[in-house]
Amino acid sequence: MSNTKHEPIHSSDLLATLQYSQQAPILLGRQSNPKMAPLSLITSSSAQPEEYATMERLFFTCLQTGDDKSALICLDKLTQFFGPSNERIMGLHGLYEEAIAGDNSALEKCLQEYDDILQQNPVNLPILKRRIALLRSLSRPADAISSLIKFLEATPTDTEAWCELADLYRFQGMSSQAVFCLEEALLITPNAWNVHSCLAELLYVSASSKEQGDPSKLLRRSVRHYCRSIELCDDYVRGLYGLALVSPALFPLFSSRFWLIYLRNRLPIVKSRFMDFQGQKYSQSELIAAKELLDRFGKSN
Amino acid sequence: MALQGAEQTILRDPALFYWILIPITIVMILTGILRHYATVLMNSPPKPPSTLAESRERYSIFRGVNLRSNGFVLPTESFEMRKSYLISAYENGAFLKDPENRGQPPANPMTDPAGMDAMMGMMKGNMMMMIPQTLIMSWINAFFSGFVICMPPVSLGTCRVLTAVVKLPFPLTIRFKSMLQSGVMTRDLDVRWVSSLSWYFLNLFGLQSVFGFILGSDNAANHMASQMSGMNPTAGMNPFQPGQDPDKLYLNEAENLEVMEHFCIYDGIEERILHNLASK
Repeated sequence: MSNTKHEPIHSSDLLATLQYSQQAPILLGRQSNPKMAPLSLITSSSAQPEEYATMERLFFTCLQTGDDKSALICLDKLTQFFGPSNERIMGLHGLYEEAIAGDNSALEKCLQEYDDILQQNPVNLPILKRRIALLRSLSRPADAISSLIKFLEATPTDTEAWCELADLYRFQGMSSQAVFCLEEALLITPNAWNVHSCLAELLYVSASSKEQGDPSKLLRRSVRHYCRSIELCDDYVRGLYGLALVSPALFPLFSSRFWLIYLRNRLPIVKSRFMDFQGQKYSQSELIAAKELLDRFGKSN
Repeated sequence: MALQGAEQTILRDPALFYWILIPITIVMILTGILRHYATVLMNSPPKPPSTLAESRERYSIFRGVNLRSNGFVLPTESFEMRKSYLISAYENGAFLKDPENRGQPPANPMTDPAGMDAMMGMMKGNMMMMIPQTLIMSWINAFFSGFVICMPPVSLGTCRVLTAVVKLPFPLTIRFKSMLQSGVMTRDLDVRWVSSLSWYFLNLFGLQSVFGFILGSDNAANHMASQMSGMNPTAGMNPFQPGQDPDKLYLNEAENLEVMEHFCIYDGIEERILHNLASK
């Protein structure tokens, strides 16, 4: 259990997710054991919150990897404990329904269900979020954006929602709005180096699209955010990679070789750490991309 | 008057130690545990907002607070834009649940159902503190104050009824007399003697760490902590106390924002980070 504790809930690292979800039958089997011995129910009462957090994570990973059967078992156990009227359980249930929905009409039905629930309780936050995510997956981004704005008006301290809105705007090509959203997210969590780096990426992309005002100004901001991200976490591969990409565009004279050297020095450390922790902090794709960049620059120089 | 330097001795039954000191301690610990579980049972979670507008009224204040404390992550123009927006919105009451009620005196918390809930919660907590304390104190007063433990010289003429049960192994100044010998009406008794009522008080304030050990650090038996948090029970959930006018808080926050000085963390960050790298 100890090594699964730090596993991210929504891991973008598919390998780790798959490995985790493959343990589902074992984990689920162990969870049902305490029921056999009534005494252990009393003694293990303090460990339960953690157990249910694991269960929720397991639910997410099972859905992600298509193991719907195990996911349903997890959901049932959670529902048994917290009751079907718990808001979070309602959200999880909705997620499950969406996941097993075969076609668009089934998804529309889910949407209808969410609307019914929201009629009864308009501040059911998990359901509100599910509804927005569903609108997005039904490829109705305009609706999703407007609902998300309404959601954020009510709960302006939700970092996750701000990041989601930034993402939605980014896909619509509205980069200045997306920048605004990420800035709001930064105001809530000022030391999140990944958000800094995201914002820098966004600024870099919008500078290269040349629609926005002054590209050099945007690039300068982008460099600064990358710098801040590295300042906060000095072996953040993604930030270093970005900095190595952006700095030649901004300072043609000041070559980005410096950052590349730095990146090259950092990479073995990061790689060894990656081996140790099985990709807890760094996903493999980022490492591969960084190596690729190093190779490319190594050839050109 | 006790002679200076002479050891003051009181003839007392050693069984008093076992039959007063230890029972009081045990009773105090058990009450603490009981109180913890009673509080856990009776504790009702703070009510979540019932409409989106209410939620907005609650949380919008944090935007200003965040901007004030974390504004350094923004470049100057973004900061100024947000600042002017928030100030004008706060001043116009744009975030209020019902803007037309603005400026009116706040609803009486006794009649307001939402306020009533919070008041009930607070009262429950206070009752949970007060009732056991009163009961135990009167129990100790009634039970343990009638022990004849020493017969003073006949010259005093009366039998003194004392409840001094334990003697501290170190000397103390006269100032501690009121603390250690409450309920003992003797001026001359050495300060080192502790009465049962005082032992109760010492337990009341001294058992925090024992409760922390038994029940975990966030226990409800720790009454000092709950008194502190009673001032500000659900800081994360609802910034407004019942009966408090959110509009006033907003205006206050607008003022805070207006006088705030902005600095940008990105000023000279390139040099800073290069310097950091070079110094490694």
